[in-house]
This record gives sequence, C-alpha cells and structure tokens, in this order.
Amino acid sequence: MSTLLEKHIVELLQDRNEKAISLLYDHYGDTLFGVANKVVRDEDLAQDVLQESFVKIWKKADTYDSSKAKLFTWLFRITRNTAIDKLRSTNTKTDREIQMDVSDVYNLGTESTKPELMDVKDNLHKLESKYQIVLEALFFEGMTQQEASEELNIPLGTIKSRLKIGLRELKKIYGAIAMFFFLIFLI
Amino acid sequence: MTDKIKQFLETDLLEKYLLDNTTQEESLRVERYIAIYPEVSTVYDELQDNLEAFAKLHAMETPDGLKNKILNKVKAENKEQSKFYKYIAAACCVAFLFATASFFFWNQNKSLKEENTIVNNKMKTIEDNMKQQLEDVRNQFIVLNNPRTKKYSVKGNLKAKELKAVAYINPVKKLSYINVRNIPNLPENQCLQMWAEVDGKMINIGIINDINDKNKLMALPYGENAVGYITIEPKGGNKSPTIENIVANISYCN
Repeated sequence: MSTLLEKHIVELLQDRNEKAISLLYDHYGDTLFGVANKVVRDEDLAQDVLQESFVKIWKKADTYDSSKAKLFTWLFRITRNTAIDKLRSTNTKTDREIQMDVSDVYNLGTESTKPELMDVKDNLHKLESKYQIVLEALFFEGMTQQEASEELNIPLGTIKSRLKIGLRELKKIYGAIAMFFFLIFLI
Repeated sequence: MTDKIKQFLETDLLEKYLLDNTTQEESLRVERYIAIYPEVSTVYDELQDNLEAFAKLHAMETPDGLKNKILNKVKAENKEQSKFYKYIAAACCVAFLFATASFFFWNQNKSLKEENTIVNNKMKTIEDNMKQQLEDVRNQFIVLNNPRTKKYSVKGNLKAKELKAVAYINPVKKLSYINVRNIPNLPENQCLQMWAEVDGKMINIGIINDINDKNKLMALPYGENAVGYITIEPKGGNKSPTIENIVANISYCN
C-alpha cells in the first residue's frame, strides 16, 4: 500500500470517519483474515476475530502513533492479540500441537483464490520449512522465542538465527515478487 | 555498529516489541534505542516490512458479507458511543445542577445557622440584661423599702455647687445606690466620674453623662467603711480619680 493511502486512512480514522474502516478492509482485510485464521485455525472463529478486531481498531483509532509503528504492524498486533484471546477463551488451544505442515501453508484450497495472492503463495515454498515453522510459531502462534524453543524442541540460539535468516530470505522472495510485478507493469 | 547496538540487536527485544510482547519497561527501552540509533530504526523498519510480507503470504479471501457485518458493527459502536457521550453530557448537567442546588442550600443553611446564632446571642443578651435589671429593681425595692436603709444627701463642694445627689445604703443587705438629681454645667472637655473606695481599692463606678432620668438609681459597690467619690475628670473618664478634683464624697460608715 502506498504511504499516501496509508496517511489518508490514518487521517480518516482519527477524524472518526467510517470510510476508514471500509478502506482498511479493502486493503488489509484478506491479510488480517489470514492472520486470524492462522492463529485460531477455524474460518468461522477467524470471522469473529476479524469483526472484533475492526471494532477495536475503530475504538483505539486515536491511540495509533505512526512514529512507533507502521499502520500494518498496528493492525497486525490488534488482530493477532484478539485472535490469541479468542483462542484462549474458546479453550481450543490446549491439545493443539505445533504441526507446521508445509503443504498446509501453500495449499490454497478454497481459502484463497485471488490471483495476486496465488502468485505470492506459489513462491512461499521457496522459503525453507525450517524457517517457516519458526516464523509462524513466533508471528501467529503467540509464542515467545523461549516458548517456541520448548515447543519445537529447537535450541533458543537456533530459533533466534532461524528467525533472522528466515526474515532475510523472505525479504529476498518478496523483493523478487515485487520486482516481477514491477517488470510486468513496465511491459 | 557499536557493540552496544550489536548486543541490543542480538537480544530478541526488537522482535518481541514488533509483536507487542514486551513489558512496558522493555517497550520504553526499545523505543529509546529506535529513536537514538538509526541502525536499530532501520532493522525495526525491515522487521515491520518482513512481517507485512510474511502475513500477506497467508492472506485469505474474506467471505462475502463480512465487510457489511463489520461496517454495521462499527456504525452500531459509533451510535453507542455517541449515546454514551449524550448520557455523559446529561449526567454532567444533572451533576452540575445538583452541585449548584447543593451549594445554594448549603449556603442558605449556613446563613440561617449564622442568623440563628446571632438571634440566640441577642436573646441571651436581652435575657441577661433583663435578669440584671430585674435584680437591680428588686435590690432597689429592697433598699428603698427597708427601714434599716440610710439616706444620705450628697452635695457638691465649691467646685460643683449645683451637684445634688441622694445615696441609699443598707448595711444589713449590703446594698448601696445613688440617685443623682442635678449636675453642674461643666466645660465640654470635662465630665463627672464616680468612684468607690472599697477595702483600700479604688473602683471606677462610671461616668455620669446626663441626668435625664432623675429617678434612676446607680448601684454602688458595697463595702464596710467604703467611701464614694465624685470627681471632675477629662471627657471620657479617667483610670484613677484626680484627688484635687473631688467634688463630693459619700461615706457609708455612718
């Protein structure tokens, strides 16, 4: 999303203009829905989470500080925390095991049919599963690095290094995709 | 990159902060590092971009109708909020009215209490005066009607020839009164003052201002072998009698 649009949305949010929510949904809805679904692993629950998250975003609009976080980071934090709370309240986390099946990550099924997302997801397999597991545990499962180390039975030092390398690799993949789209756009 | 920044980046504080998993103290530390060191700020920005990229990889198409549900919820929330503010405004008005009314009644109550105290004090003063006057009248009656009461005619000396008074002294009841009938004309800066010497002490009885009420009896302190004096004093009276200005004396002993 362009910074200009981001600024516009923030202004609308802080002016208590409901159009901000519509724009946020259009530009971040799918991503945040994916985040919610990754945490709760249930599409119906993920819908509830998204609804609650947007209400929270609306209520907390005046607390957003662009000097402390990018808009997406702020939206992600709210959605992820809401999802983790929902998961705890529905008590479904107890017997869940961290089974990060790589095929599950890029198996689109019916959950995502948008062509632009398919392009991105097709490239996800380029990120080695050992990095994906760590990134998902930390970003979506609500685990600290220590907890991830215990749950995945991986030393803490390895978790730290896989997080850093995984993010670096991800940047490469994402950068390549962005370049690909940019070239298509030029052609 | 200094060791300090390296050490900081090696901890997972920045990643924890990114995911909102830091304590308040940790957040303040991270925010300080981001503000001070551009290297940390750059890493933080990269982390944010990576997070967005990683999250986008897991994007899922939202179901039809979810957007409308969310927009309706936000609208309802907005209405509730504006209702809430209306209630707050109404509550503020009520509280203000209540406070104003309370202050008004408290103030009124305070004024009434003060007025009540003043009236009570006045009543007490009047009561005391009445008791005093009644006691005085009773004593006057006793003195004037008692056969043991002695009547002394008091006349002024050469300095105040016109001064005429009658003293009534009852040694049994130990009461004494004086009735000033006439006073001499004195310069404006002078007055007549009465004294009584009781048990060697000179007591100020008071100034004789006028003699409008010729029947008025002034009480004199009683004492065995007491002596009453009338002196001419500067206007307003004196603290002790001016001996050379004694114009009359009343001896109780005879």
